Amino acid sequence: MKFKINRDHFSNGLAQVLNVVGSKATMPILSNVLIEAEKDCVTFTTTNLDLGIRARIKAEVKEPGSVTLPVKRLASIVRELPNLDVAFDASPNHHVKLSSGGSTFKIMGIGREEFPPLPELGDENSFSLDQATLTTMLQSVAYAQSSDETRYILNGVYFSFRDSKLTLVATDGRRLALISKEMDVAADRAGSIILPAKTVTELLHMLNKGTTLKIAFNERRATFQIATDKDTSGLLDSIYLYSKVVEGNYPNYQQVIPKETQQRIKLERELLLACVHRASLVCSEKANSVRIKLTSNLLEVTAQSPDFGEAHESMAIAYSGPELQVAFNPAYVLDPLRALTKDEVFFEVKDEVSPGVFKTLENFVCVIMPVRLS
Amino acid sequence: MTRLPTILHLDADAFFVAVEQARDPSLRGKKVAVGGRERGIIASASYEARACGVYTPMPTAQALRVCPDLILVSHGLGGYGAVSRRMFDLCETLTPVVQRNSVDEGYLDLGPCGFKTAAEVEAAARGLQRRIWDELQIPVSVGLATNRLVAQIASKLRKPRGFVVVPPGTEAEFLAPLGVGKLPGIGGKTEAALAERGLVLIRDLFARSESELAAALGGGWRELLALARGEDDRPVEVEREDAKSYSQQETFAADIADFAEIERVAKGMVDALLPKIRADRKRVRTITVKVRYPDFSQTAHGRSLEAATDLEAPFYPLIAPLLRAAWTQRRPLRLVSVRFSAVEDATGQLEMFAQQDEKRRQLAAVLDRLTGRATVVRRGHQLAKAPPPDK
Repeated sequence: MKFKINRDHFSNGLAQVLNVVGSKATMPILSNVLIEAEKDCVTFTTTNLDLGIRARIKAEVKEPGSVTLPVKRLASIVRELPNLDVAFDASPNHHVKLSSGGSTFKIMGIGREEFPPLPELGDENSFSLDQATLTTMLQSVAYAQSSDETRYILNGVYFSFRDSKLTLVATDGRRLALISKEMDVAADRAGSIILPAKTVTELLHMLNKGTTLKIAFNERRATFQIATDKDTSGLLDSIYLYSKVVEGNYPNYQQVIPKETQQRIKLERELLLACVHRASLVCSEKANSVRIKLTSNLLEVTAQSPDFGEAHESMAIAYSGPELQVAFNPAYVLDPLRALTKDEVFFEVKDEVSPGVFKTLENFVCVIMPVRLS
Repeated sequence: MTRLPTILHLDADAFFVAVEQARDPSLRGKKVAVGGRERGIIASASYEARACGVYTPMPTAQALRVCPDLILVSHGLGGYGAVSRRMFDLCETLTPVVQRNSVDEGYLDLGPCGFKTAAEVEAAARGLQRRIWDELQIPVSVGLATNRLVAQIASKLRKPRGFVVVPPGTEAEFLAPLGVGKLPGIGGKTEAALAERGLVLIRDLFARSESELAAALGGGWRELLALARGEDDRPVEVEREDAKSYSQQETFAADIADFAEIERVAKGMVDALLPKIRADRKRVRTITVKVRYPDFSQTAHGRSLEAATDLEAPFYPLIAPLLRAAWTQRRPLRLVSVRFSAVEDATGQLEMFAQQDEKRRQLAAVLDRLTGRATVVRRGHQLAKAPPPDK
């Protein structure tokens, strides 16, 4: 196997597949990237069995073939090579010679026989999505995923293709973010999956290199074909991402979204973000809450920690409802405000023990549970 | 600068009895013990009672045999915690560096007081001892030394109302004539084993070769030898650690084999402990049920919830399976206990998918307030089984 490749393209291709490989792989082969050369392209594949990625890079292939190499060290070497032209030469005993300018590396590889193939899914349950739209949707909810391993069902983003829309939901049991977008979903193709947090991170990393993507799934796994037509660093066709899904029933999120609107206020997103962020600077691990007080046309944010001090912020709003106070974990307020891009958000509150709700006009809802005032 | 004996170990003399005697001075000078009823255990005995052979922990029945005129006071009235706090508050008027080890003993570091001479240190320590007696009528023994180890041994040397000062530099000399059992880590069994090898006094340890010591004391002999020389560099630690567990136990009036009755008692413990956990603003995750047989052998079984809670409800269904798992021998039980561990700080953060818990928490808060005054509300399982109807 022999090919010539542009160093930066090589590096870009490895970067796409690099994060899949964990620090403690269960089998040595899983620390490796499978490199396959044929026609005018080189394919890189990595997998940790739960998640796998395949990316294609253009190259001048002189002799087709395949080999696997430790991906982390290979990537750090390729990044540092002195010359843009890189020659890759693998011998039948899986020794690889990498040369670029005046440097030459000899790396010991493993044959491809042991490398587990990435499963493929048929087209029976597949949907085509716009990459920019999915990016926005994922960013609007991903922060609300749980990282508590004992609640593994919540360690991911719920995708629901149903009722002529795609709905994405994430929750950690204390806050919940939901966004939906209309799309054609034939009744017989409706379905849902919980995409693991790690896959969500990787997906966000892959998106926006092209216009569209195709998602296919069944109850155990999901695959993504992510077009790379906007990429200028050597990526060809599409990136293929395979992932197991979180198996189990996602909680009934509908029941925690308040049905009735109580006090609704329109807020300047960045202003509220800045106020809450400043107030939260006095919070501590033990006193991690900000208090929001609404009075006539005034919103006040206060925070205090006994061993440091206190903060008071105020902003003018249009409000004529009853005076009320409610406290929240500041991160729960800040995360949705940071993720959104619109200038204005709606915030709905009822009383000190009822959830607060952020909404936008784009079918976005973020429900946050309060901290008991004491 | 000359070193001063600024580490003070304070040890209340027969603390529980002393609290009762302060409450009822007619008990002074008598053979008094605080302990459970007939099948309970003596928690504290007056020095007069100790002279008759009553010790702690001794089963109450046995204590009444060796000392038939023993006046037994049950811990019913309690209030020990409050007296203890006042005692340590008095200590804190002397120095801010007070380490409360338990309800009745602790360490003080008088270093920050800036005393210039040993006489000043001694006068301050005597003043504290006197003040605790004057204000609380609690007799305490005091040991003064340059470190915790020696101060602690000194305070226990001349109880009650002892006052022992070990001048700096004389630690080894002070310890040498004492029994090896005075050293921490040497319990009754080790002491007996050492005595067989002729190691009775601390000074005996220095007469042996390293290999002999290693054979007699095992791997920790070097550390033990350092202790024997009176060496200890542990500081007096002010930070009081939060409770690591909450537990309650009950010794039955007569051994019982009635599963339902024991389950009822254990659930009653859940009901008694969770209000304390809520009052401390904590949550717990692990519950352990322990059973003890009449011969004092015991077994325990525990289980952890997925997430910590401050509510009774998640623990009720665990009681019967845990009791069954722990109670494996087909014998009646002498005692059952319930222990909660894996303690976490409770936050006021409300949960989304646990609205039921929120309602229970509100109910619990109301019940906690009510039962703070008197037992006005009881759960069904707290009611004892009705006597069987006559046939």
